[in-house]
Amino acid sequence: MTSAINATDLGKRYGRKWALSSCTLDIPAGHVVGLVGPNGAGKTTLLHLAVGLLTPSTGTLSVLDEKPGSSPEQLGRIGFVAQDTPVYPNLTIATHLHMGAALNPHWDAQLAERRMYDLGLDPSQRAGGLSGGQRAQLALTLAIAKRPSLLLLDEPVASLDPLARREFLATLMEVVAEHEVSVVLSSHLVADLERVCDYLVVLAASRVQANGEIDDLLASHHRLVGTRQDFDRLPDSARVIEASHVERQTTVTIASADPILDPAWSVEEMTLEDLVLAYMSQAEEQRRELVRANGGSR
Amino acid sequence: MIWFAWRQFRFQAFVVFVFLVVVALFFVFTGPHLAHLYAGLNGCKANGDCESLTNSMLNEYNKYFPFVQALSLIFPLLLGIFWGAPLIAHELETGTYRLAWTQGVSRRRWVVTKFAVVGVASMVATGLLSWMLTWWASPIDTLNASRFSSLVFDTSYIAPIGYAAFAFALGVAAGVLWRRTLPAMATSIVAFVTTRVLFVHFVRPNLMSPLKQITSIAKARNFGFSQSQSGLSFIVGSPYRPNALVYDTTVVGKDGAHVTKNWLAIHCPGLNNPQAQGVGKGLSVRTGEPAPFTSCVHQISASFHEIVSYQPASRFWTFQWYEMTIYTVAALLLGGLSYWWVRRRIA
Repeated sequence: MTSAINATDLGKRYGRKWALSSCTLDIPAGHVVGLVGPNGAGKTTLLHLAVGLLTPSTGTLSVLDEKPGSSPEQLGRIGFVAQDTPVYPNLTIATHLHMGAALNPHWDAQLAERRMYDLGLDPSQRAGGLSGGQRAQLALTLAIAKRPSLLLLDEPVASLDPLARREFLATLMEVVAEHEVSVVLSSHLVADLERVCDYLVVLAASRVQANGEIDDLLASHHRLVGTRQDFDRLPDSARVIEASHVERQTTVTIASADPILDPAWSVEEMTLEDLVLAYMSQAEEQRRELVRANGGSR
Repeated sequence: MIWFAWRQFRFQAFVVFVFLVVVALFFVFTGPHLAHLYAGLNGCKANGDCESLTNSMLNEYNKYFPFVQALSLIFPLLLGIFWGAPLIAHELETGTYRLAWTQGVSRRRWVVTKFAVVGVASMVATGLLSWMLTWWASPIDTLNASRFSSLVFDTSYIAPIGYAAFAFALGVAAGVLWRRTLPAMATSIVAFVTTRVLFVHFVRPNLMSPLKQITSIAKARNFGFSQSQSGLSFIVGSPYRPNALVYDTTVVGKDGAHVTKNWLAIHCPGLNNPQAQGVGKGLSVRTGEPAPFTSCVHQISASFHEIVSYQPASRFWTFQWYEMTIYTVAALLLGGLSYWWVRRRIA
């Protein structure tokens, strides 16, 4: 199985500030991958690196087993929908499609035109006059008519209303079903990802906190509730992600391959959202500790 | 990519095209009348009274000439601002570069094609304006016979094409460095004007070493004496050199001597009397003045000669080609810098 994205110790620095650091991950092809993390976690940076808009400061990165942006052929194999779905406001939809045809080696004109027709968009309309949802659909069409092997989408639904959001994600699912395409989709909202993704990467504080197939992640993470003194009675294989204590009760989120059989703990069901939030708050807590350790001036 | 570069540029190109058509109409409507006045000048030489005809032609030209010259001087800069600066900066500031640079086209091809299409267009547009202006102003240029003067040299023939390439590339490079159109425009204006002024004053005169010619002082177009606090001194103009670029003239004697006030006191005693000079303190006296003046000029001519250093009219086209080539090469270097910056710093 090839990798959709394979990064080793990947980092990107702007001046002194690291937008992404020590990012090591391997996303196999053939998945719909959710890339989730708080704002400023480095999601956009990672996607821009993957599509060759940025070059890494450290580490290595391969996308579909090639260096990103290394050749027009390689660029043609990746469909990218950037954040806020940029299009040229003065150009018509038809001109955008002509652009795609002129600039991409495997352009599927029929697919593009049919999609515009299905969406009820007039090709002679200027892109500047489109609604946010229509613009996102145009951007998605431009990306998928390239007939890419990998589709990268940067917060594609963040600025859309609920209806447009649902339609966009439905379109995306159609595309995935119709063409064999791997997808990496970033969002800071887990709810958007839950419906479409089967693989999750949690990125927080510019590091990968967790990644894996969603089913595996859910099966291996547990939320335990018990009395306070039970805290040291966790299985050896367990890794504590988040723990909170109130008076006499402790709630702890752990990653553990083994099931929790100890009757001292009551095991609660975890949603994907719980899991992501646990990792995010862990990262946030680590960041705060680091700031405090450095004197807390910044 | 050529098609798309042109498609993005089409509207801007159309605006400038309309503008050029308006300018062309102006030239076409006023040009023949001016040419007619000039043709009349050739006829007047037979019957003598050329002065009033010349004046009426100059008056007619001067109604428009400053505006036309000013337009030709700033036209390349306008293209640099409105075509060059936004070329890449606008994509960067509106975020569409994320769409453009993720198509199946290498970044190099994208930059090179856009740069070439719009850059060549700005050279063609400026070339057209310069060609129209050169045609329109040809009678008065013949009359003035000063093709090397900055107002003619910099606004006509082929030099403006080089300025256009340079201004355009400057706009592109500033846009890439700033990543925003507005500061790029301001930077282009300052950099272009500075470069042009410095070039005219310090580079152009040194492109080729000037010719030196020794001539008789009697051939100078004008001469006279100037009375100042340091005493009386001799001043002399250059001989008539149509269309040449005269740097300076020096007066030297056979043994390298100069016309000093002592020399004048000895050889032209009549001049020391202010009445004899026919003028007041500090003013120069011209040809056709009283006898002491004329006899003194004869005295000077006998012992001194004039050395003129100048670029002859025959070098005009060499200078035009030099200037166009230098600016075009500078434009290509700026284009290379822009590409490098896009590749290394923005990527």
